[in-house]
Amino acid sequence: MEEFNSGEEVVFNPDEISVSVKEVCSLILGNIIINIILNAIGWMTSCLLISSQCVEGVIGGTDYNQSKVNQWTASIVEHSLTHLVKQGRPFKYIVNCTIMQKSGAGLHTANSCYWDTATDGSCTVRWENRTMYCVVSVFAVAVAL
Amino acid sequence: MLLEREITSWKRHKAGFVVEDVSTIIKESVEATIGGNAYQHNRVNQWTTSIVEQCLSQLSKLGKPFKYIITCVIMQKNGAGMQTASTCFWDNSTDGSCTVRWENKFVYCIVSVFGLAI
Repeated sequence: MEEFNSGEEVVFNPDEISVSVKEVCSLILGNIIINIILNAIGWMTSCLLISSQCVEGVIGGTDYNQSKVNQWTASIVEHSLTHLVKQGRPFKYIVNCTIMQKSGAGLHTANSCYWDTATDGSCTVRWENRTMYCVVSVFAVAVAL
Repeated sequence: MLLEREITSWKRHKAGFVVEDVSTIIKESVEATIGGNAYQHNRVNQWTTSIVEQCLSQLSKLGKPFKYIITCVIMQKNGAGMQTASTCFWDNSTDGSCTVRWENKFVYCIVSVFGLAI
């Protein structure tokens, strides 16, 4: 009979998984799902999906950390842009991400665009958790082919 | 030969995205709108709208063949941390951006202008 060797009890604590592992897993899974869906829907919806997916993947479940926030914003904009470009649509993109700590301060943002309203557009994703706000804006300007 | 090169580079400079001009336009616009005022929750909406609209009208008066995107963030000085990043997929030789960070005793104001050549 096999001897049942009971070692130390280890509780699987998902909060202890490092951000990078979470990010990679979420991105891989996200990639597969997104590519299937994106082929079927319009660019505005796909922009929203991409941005919210990227934000969730990078900072979902973490608290505001001053030393890491630099990496986070860079990571969010880079991943969003990569996914957007992969779609292969004839657009120039601008992706803007702002992360702000929740400490009672007031914040106001506005944007204004001078472009061709028939072909160009933008979308904004607002995300928050217990300790911070994150706002991602994507602007897409059509390229004349 | 040298003169030709000078003329070409001057022409490109004038037709392209000139950061200094845009930066001046932004600074004037922010100064005129916020000036020395403190953060007021009921007025900040007007300020951001006013800043972006003023910048946009000044920029379109320049008459260059560009599409513009202007973003303005106003934040109360309260000790909170804030980080902003942006990345762009465009034509490096013709498009450009300019970001101005402005502050007074009570607020921070960050204005970004992106210009994309038509």
